Amino acid sequence: MSASGVPAEEFPLPPVAGSLARSQDAALRRLFLMLFLRGRSSRGLRKERAPRSIGSKLGLILALYCFVGLSAVAFWGQPVFVLALSQHSITFLFLSMFFASSSGEVLFNKEEADILLHRPIAPARLLRAKVRVLVEVSLWLAGALNLVSFAVGSRGPGGALFVVAHAGSVVLEALFCAGFVVLVYQLCLRWFGRERFESFVTTSQVLVGIAAVTGGQLVRPLLRPMLHQVGGTLGVGQHNWWLALLPPVWFASLDDALAGTGTSGAWLLAGVGLIATAGVLGAAFGKLSGDYQRGLQALNDVAPSARRRQAARRWFDVLVNAPPLRWWLRDPVTRAAFLLTSVYLVRDRDLKLRVYPSLAPMFVFPFIFIFDSQRGRGLGEGFAIAFLSGSLGIFPLIALSTLQFSQQWQASDVFRAAPIRGPAALSEGARRAVLAVLTLPALALVVAISLVVRQDSSQLLLLLPGIIAIPVFSLVPCLGGKAVPLSLPSEEAKAASRGATMWIAMLAAFAISGLGVWAHSAGWLGWFLLAETALAIGVYGAMRASIATARWSSME
Amino acid sequence: MISVQRLCKSFGAQVAVDDLTFEIPAGQIVGFLGPNGAGKSTTLKMLTGMIEPTSGTARVCGFDLLRDPIEVKRHVGFVPESGAVFESLTGLEYLEMIAALYGIPRATATPRIEQFISFFDLSFETLTEKLLGAYSKGMRRKVVITAALLHNPPVVFFDEPLDGLDANAAVGFKTLIQSLAREGKAIVYSSHILDVVERVCDRVIIIDKGRLLLDGPPNELVAARGVATLERLFTELTGGVELEHRAAEFAKTFLP
Repeated sequence: MSASGVPAEEFPLPPVAGSLARSQDAALRRLFLMLFLRGRSSRGLRKERAPRSIGSKLGLILALYCFVGLSAVAFWGQPVFVLALSQHSITFLFLSMFFASSSGEVLFNKEEADILLHRPIAPARLLRAKVRVLVEVSLWLAGALNLVSFAVGSRGPGGALFVVAHAGSVVLEALFCAGFVVLVYQLCLRWFGRERFESFVTTSQVLVGIAAVTGGQLVRPLLRPMLHQVGGTLGVGQHNWWLALLPPVWFASLDDALAGTGTSGAWLLAGVGLIATAGVLGAAFGKLSGDYQRGLQALNDVAPSARRRQAARRWFDVLVNAPPLRWWLRDPVTRAAFLLTSVYLVRDRDLKLRVYPSLAPMFVFPFIFIFDSQRGRGLGEGFAIAFLSGSLGIFPLIALSTLQFSQQWQASDVFRAAPIRGPAALSEGARRAVLAVLTLPALALVVAISLVVRQDSSQLLLLLPGIIAIPVFSLVPCLGGKAVPLSLPSEEAKAASRGATMWIAMLAAFAISGLGVWAHSAGWLGWFLLAETALAIGVYGAMRASIATARWSSME
Repeated sequence: MISVQRLCKSFGAQVAVDDLTFEIPAGQIVGFLGPNGAGKSTTLKMLTGMIEPTSGTARVCGFDLLRDPIEVKRHVGFVPESGAVFESLTGLEYLEMIAALYGIPRATATPRIEQFISFFDLSFETLTEKLLGAYSKGMRRKVVITAALLHNPPVVFFDEPLDGLDANAAVGFKTLIQSLAREGKAIVYSSHILDVVERVCDRVIIIDKGRLLLDGPPNELVAARGVATLERLFTELTGGVELEHRAAEFAKTFLP
């Protein structure tokens, strides 16, 4: 009898070969799908926010993607290539964002090592299961994103054939994105070695995320004039040869080859897409798949590079203990929160993945205005400059809202255990860190850009309305005792209310910029700035007073 | 069951495990001891196939760690110190997933899981309704132990298994591993709770700075060194006596 009262011979060692492989494939698919849809951590989630139903969450995500895909209606009646390129651009960017934010966590999860690495699973099987789930989910997303375009395309010149061609090209695009991301990781492992792998994964994820968000805003305005330029029958020629380098063009060409013009150029580019996809998949899951095991082990066994970490710590110590920060951070609690926030903004992978890509659009929108204004469209260069600084106010707002969430949120119990009357000093430290580490460098960049693009020196004054509003904007997340850094579970970071706050702040920035431009054109900018400063000081003072009296929220 | 020959592991210039050699036969409970950073967890991770040794060899149930890592993994159960679980799964979903990874059919796995639930006094409702993230530390530990034993492995590695368990569960667990050893399983038990090790283990292996310091039955080792307990032996071997003096001196700094 076994210790638990059951004859041991009833439970012989499980089988090998075929049945084990099938059992593992099914279990791993189910596991990674659930982890993806529910999130990896549920600890500390409030009961009503705990993820329970895979179906409802997936339904919500797909509905959102369907809504985004409504943009295809704008291409009603357009040639196959134009509609396909538009949809493949969006799909490519959304899938890139999806893979950038999800793949690192799915493929190389540190906590997973203690759960799965001692189980009898071949690394290649583990990799296959993870990528299969990523591709599966990306196909659902791509399908939802293109649902409207299938309807629009079937009524266009391509007819029903467009639906078939576009479905095939979307599948190819998803496979290309998945293969490309895995390939990048494998190559990083091979080229940069284990020691630098983890930090490189984080950096590359952040950069891909920023590029995807930035590209999402920039690609369509860039393509639009070219579409108009050739009367809506864009093809790739000598004047725009660079388009042939863009993956969405390959996949749109497949649509065009099968359901559109069927030109030799379209077939050629479609062929490039097929070969590129096959090549990327072959490299990622063939020759280089052995590197995956080394990657998993790297996360499990790499000792940190002591020298680099010490250097980073010294840098922060020097920064905080030297003027002007030493004067600015006299309160020890504020200084501690400043250091904590700054360090996490630089080191923490989870936080960086959420903060930096969410800030990217704030920079991109003003650039689109500048881009448009220099071509005689949009709201003019003055507004673009004003909005450039106006959007800076949203920087601390978004950053502070995001910084509240962390995978290590339970460690924030030390804040409540410490003899601190309320969260004000902590949120103030976080606010100052965001202002010093993120907003100030962004402001310097904005001023530099404005100096380059401005045609009239007096327009530089239009930076001031936005700059004056920054301190007020930065206090908004701290109201009600919030914005305590790293104090809430990261799974709660997806709350829709944050999006609403951001949109309200965007509208406020837009309004301030508009009023500034209006005052400038009317010759009242000086008075406007004076009034804005007085108002900002009043509001700032009232907000600080309110924040200072805030107490800890209930832990229930 | 376990044969370790000149096992080494380095992380860059840092040597974590240095030339370890030992054998563990079937039916033996071996306490694997050492101070923090001695290389215990690294050794266990190597023996469970989680990380590759830098040099040396090891065989588990006759399977070579480097040549047949999957076979080694089929024959071992491991309770890691971290007690990590997928928190977004319910306890039952997690255990069913683990069973499937070992190819155990659901018809076999379900009654087996029920037996563990009964043994650990877990509520079936909790296991099916609550996500693991909402479990107490002790409940999570019970699930992790269940996950390690579900496939009935002949070799089991425990890294601080009692962490989080209440006194009754700990007593039950100690009885369980002694029964498992009587059934012929080799048990490696790594812990800092030395009085438990002394009572439960047939033999202890003490390592420090990655090197083997002592290997033998606890009562014989204690008698040979002329000390009263395994804890005293351990502190003398690993610099704990000096730490005791330092602690006494340090405590004086708290005096008003």
